[in-house]
Amino acid sequence: MTSIGTGYDLSNSVFSPDGRNFQVEYAVKAVENGGTAVGIRCKDGVVLAVEKIISSKLLKPGANKRIATVDRHVGIVSAGLVPDGRHFVSRARDEASSWRNVYKGPIPVSALSNRLGSYVQAYTLYSSVRPFGVTAIIGGWDSEAELAVDGQVGSGPKAGSGGKVEGAKAGGPGLYMIEPSGLYWGYYGAATGKGRQAAKAELEKLDLSAGNLSLIDGVKEAARIVYVAHEDSKDKDFELEMTWISSLDGPTQGRHEEVPKELLEEAERAAKAALEGDDDEDDAAKGDAIDNERMQE
Amino acid sequence: MVGHGMTGMLGEDGIHVDMNHLKKGEVNMAINFKDGVILGADSRTTTGAYIANRVTDKLTQVHDTIWCCRSGSAADTQAVADIVSYHLNMYSITNNEAPSTQVAAALFQELCYENKDMLSAGIIIAGYDPRHGGQVYSIPLGGSLHKQSYSIGGSGSTYIYGYCDANWKENMTEEEGVQFVRSALQEAIKWDGSSGGVIRMVVLTAKGAQRHLYLPDTGYTGPGVTN
Amino acid sequence: MTGFDFSNYNRNAALHAKGVPLPKATSTGTTIVGCIYDNGVVIAADTRATSGPIVADKNCEKLHYIAPKIWCAGAGTAADTEFTTALISSNVELHSLSTGRPPRVITCMTMLKQHLFRYQGHIGAYLVVAGVDPTGIGLFTVHAHGSTDKLPYVTMGSGSLAAMSVFESMWKPQLDRDGAVALCAEAIKAGIFNDLGSGSNVDVCVIEKDQPTQLLRNYIKPNERGQKERNYRFPRGTTAYLNQKVISKEDMRKYVTVEEASGDPNLMEVDI
Repeated sequence: MTSIGTGYDLSNSVFSPDGRNFQVEYAVKAVENGGTAVGIRCKDGVVLAVEKIISSKLLKPGANKRIATVDRHVGIVSAGLVPDGRHFVSRARDEASSWRNVYKGPIPVSALSNRLGSYVQAYTLYSSVRPFGVTAIIGGWDSEAELAVDGQVGSGPKAGSGGKVEGAKAGGPGLYMIEPSGLYWGYYGAATGKGRQAAKAELEKLDLSAGNLSLIDGVKEAARIVYVAHEDSKDKDFELEMTWISSLDGPTQGRHEEVPKELLEEAERAAKAALEGDDDEDDAAKGDAIDNERMQE
Repeated sequence: MVGHGMTGMLGEDGIHVDMNHLKKGEVNMAINFKDGVILGADSRTTTGAYIANRVTDKLTQVHDTIWCCRSGSAADTQAVADIVSYHLNMYSITNNEAPSTQVAAALFQELCYENKDMLSAGIIIAGYDPRHGGQVYSIPLGGSLHKQSYSIGGSGSTYIYGYCDANWKENMTEEEGVQFVRSALQEAIKWDGSSGGVIRMVVLTAKGAQRHLYLPDTGYTGPGVTN
Repeated sequence: MTGFDFSNYNRNAALHAKGVPLPKATSTGTTIVGCIYDNGVVIAADTRATSGPIVADKNCEKLHYIAPKIWCAGAGTAADTEFTTALISSNVELHSLSTGRPPRVITCMTMLKQHLFRYQGHIGAYLVVAGVDPTGIGLFTVHAHGSTDKLPYVTMGSGSLAAMSVFESMWKPQLDRDGAVALCAEAIKAGIFNDLGSGSNVDVCVIEKDQPTQLLRNYIKPNERGQKERNYRFPRGTTAYLNQKVISKEDMRKYVTVEEASGDPNLMEVDI
C-alpha cells in the first residue's frame, strides 16, 4: 500500500474525521467533466437538453442517444459516466414498471425521483460498491386528467362522478435532479455537467418561478443555454440532443418525446444567432457566473 | 379430485374438515350520488345453517374516505381488506398524499385476481377524493375490475336487479340516495333468506364519512345518522 | 420439515370414494361464551372433552392464558386450541417486552386471525378472545378460517346456539360484574344441559380493570356424581365352583417365555 493520503478516500462507507465521504466527492468530479445537461420546467411542459461532445468523427451523428424515456411520461438525462447513467435509467424503468404493476397507473415524477434518490443513496453506504458517477435530471408530466385503473371495465356514471372540487389543480410538470450522494431537489430549472455554472446563470435570468415560460420558448432557451455553456470548451465539437414532455393538450400529449427535427434546428439557429449577437455582453455575463460559483463554495 | 361432494364433507387432507366456513349470505351495494358515494349492507353472517353474527359490520374502512363492502367468505374478505388497508396507509406516508380510490381499487384487484383460486371474495370499493369525486368499483369472483355508477353484490342482490334498474337515477341528492339504498336493501332482505339484521350505511363526501343505521324493529326507518 | 403433510390425500380420497367411512377428527363439542360488563369482561366454558361419542375428559380446561389480562376460551380441535393459544401467548409476551407496553386485546386477536388464516382452516381453533388493556375492554370471536367478530356478548362451539338463546333473552346493557358472571354461567349451563357435546362443569374467568384476573375453576358443578342408591358389587364366593387348581409362576415357564419387566413405569411407554 502506498502511503499517500489519509486513507479516508479509499472506501465508501468510511467517513473522514471531518465528516466527508471522499468517494462521493470524487464521483461529483466525474460529473463535473461530463457534457452539460439542462432541464427546464415550463408552465405547460418540461424540456431536457444535453451537450454531447463528439469524441470521434467515426460516431454516427444523431445516434447514441443520451436522453432516455423511462415511462411514457418521464425522461431522464444525466451528466457524468455514461454507463452509470444507463444503469440508473434501467433502474428507473424498473421502478416505473413496478409502480404500474402495483397501482395500475403511471408513477408520479415525484415518487419516481424519491425512489431513485433512495437507490443512489444506497450506493454511498457499502464498501463493496462505488457511488454513481452521474447527476441525473428527471423530467416528466403528471397527467392533469382523471386516470382510469389499467384493466378496468366500464367508466362509471354517465353524468360523471359527483362531489368533485372544481378548479382543484392536479398533475403538471415535474423536474428533479439527483446527485451522486443521493441528494435530490425539485427544480424550476436544473443544470449539471461541465458548463453548469454558465447554464445556471442563464436559467436564473429566465424567472422560471413566475411560471410564464411556455414550452416552445423553453425549448429555445434550453438550446441557447447549452450553446452558451459550451462557450468555455469551444475547441470541441458537440451535438445538441433535446426531448420534451407537454401537457395533455400540448404537442406531445403528455408523452416524453424527442423535440421534432425542424423545431430543434430552428432552436439551434436561434441559439447561434443569440451567441453572435451577445458577444459584447458575453464577458460580463460570464463574470457573473464565476462570482456565483465562488459564493456557493 | 376424486369424489368431492359426493358423500359428504371431504376436506383437502382427506378427513373431515369443518365446513362451517363463515359465509356472508348477504346483500350489499354502493352508489354514486350528487356529492359523493353511499355504501350500504345488511348485517347477517351465517355459518352453514345458523346466524353467527346478526349485527355484523360489513362496511370496512381501508382509508379515510375509501371504504368497501365485503361479501363471500368472512375470513378471506377480512384478510384482503386488512392487507389493502396496510398498503394504503403506507402509500399515504411514503407519498405524502391520500391515495385515490383508483389506487385502492388496483390493490384490491391485484389481490383478488392473483389469488382467485384461494379466495371467495366479492368486493365493492367506494371512495371519495376531491379530485375525482365519488367513485364505485366492483370486483366480482374472478378478480375483474368494473367501474360502475352503482353496484350491488351478495346473494341477496339477485332479488333487486330489477328494483335498482327501475329506480336508479343519476345525480341523486343525498336524501334520495339514502332512500334508494335503504329501500333496495330492505327489498333484498325481504326476499333473501340469508340476508337480514340491520341495514348499515356509510355516506362519503367532501365532509368525510358519515354512518347510518336502520333497525328492523322500526321497519328500517331509523335511527339514521349515528355519528 | 414443519407444516402439514398432504401425502395421504390421494389414498384417502380413493378410500373415501370406495365407501370407506371417514375417520373422525378429534374435537371438543363445546360451549364457550363471553360477555362484557361496565368494568371488565367475563368468559366461561364447559369442561367436557369428547372423542367421537366418548367423553374423553370430564373436567378439562378450555380457558387459556394469553397474558395476565388477556384470556381465551377455545372450542374445536383440542390440540389446536391448546397449541395456538400457547404460541400466541408466547408471541404476545415477546411483543409486550419489546414495546415495553402491556399487550392489547386487538393485537392478540390480529395475531390469532393471521395465524389461522395462513393455515386456511386446517388448524381447527375456534376462540373467544377477551381482555382488558389501556384502550379499554375487548371481546372478540376468532373462527378457524381467520374471520373475527366484535360483539358485546358472544358464544361459540356446538353449544353456542343454546348459550346464545340465554344471552338473547337475558342480556341487558350496563351489566355489573356479578350480573355478567351469572349470565355467562347460565349460558354455559344451557350448553351443558342441551348440547350433547358439552357437559360437566362451568369454568369462569373474570378480567377487570385495576384488578387481578380471577380464574374461577369449576365455578359451578352441576353434574356432581352423587352416592349410588344401590351397590352392584357381588360378595366374594357368590359364584359356586367345583374345584380349584393353582399354577405357579415357575409352572408357567413350561408353556410361555416370561420376561421380568422392571418396576420403573417410565422406562417403557405402553399403548392402552
